[in-house]
Amino acid sequence: MYMPMEKLSLRTEHTEDRTIVHIGGEFDLEAASRMRAALNSLIEQADRRITLDIQQLKYIDSTGIGILISLAKALHARNVSFDVVHIPSHIRKLFDMTGITPFLMKPESSI
Amino acid sequence: MVNERVVTLSIPALPEYVDLVRLTLYGIATKLKFTFEEIEDMKVAVSEACNNAVLHAYGDLSGNIEVTFQTLGEELVITVKDFGKSFVVDESKEAPVMHGKEIDEIQSGGLGLYLMQALMDRVEVKQDGGTAVTLSKKRLASEETA
Repeated sequence: MYMPMEKLSLRTEHTEDRTIVHIGGEFDLEAASRMRAALNSLIEQADRRITLDIQQLKYIDSTGIGILISLAKALHARNVSFDVVHIPSHIRKLFDMTGITPFLMKPESSI
Repeated sequence: MVNERVVTLSIPALPEYVDLVRLTLYGIATKLKFTFEEIEDMKVAVSEACNNAVLHAYGDLSGNIEVTFQTLGEELVITVKDFGKSFVVDESKEAPVMHGKEIDEIQSGGLGLYLMQALMDRVEVKQDGGTAVTLSKKRLASEETA
């Protein structure tokens, strides 16, 4: 059965110790302005640990990677702990290739 | 004998059309029996070329991007061409920009060309009445599983 894929999905979940943002679909140039706005408001309100769960992310390119780098830098500057979990293998390959993996993964989340 | 086949797609130079190029690429690369990983690599590389054209070729004017998929034996050659003003592909060709750096030193831009080069076998940029980026990849795994 053909399932039309939602272009980009964003869902925020607040747990006891952190905010988890679930990102799914395609994180590309088309999604950039929406993601930038969502993540900027996340940065402004950041008062505790932030985790991005990208298990359902199907696609990312340099636009999306650039936005993730900006997010990591902004949160680092604010001393907010940040990590990315459930990274699909083909996306992990791009993170490794560009050298950003160490900025996205904490040792304890390296699964 | 190498049997050459060509598919051409023309899209408006707008962000919301770049996924059509990925869908077409997926269809063609699947026919050619590229692996999932090879197809994912090519999707990113081709999108990077399209993104550059969308962002830089036409300024505030409208225009099209022409994408040609050419099959040469086991090689897929994809050309992304615009007909706008030539733009400098200003990204560094240097290898992994972030490796071994601290978070304060890393930059969020300039990864497009690097990724194209890292993900494809060959990348050529030509500027002549627009910009044409040619990306080639040979199918590695010859899995003849039916």
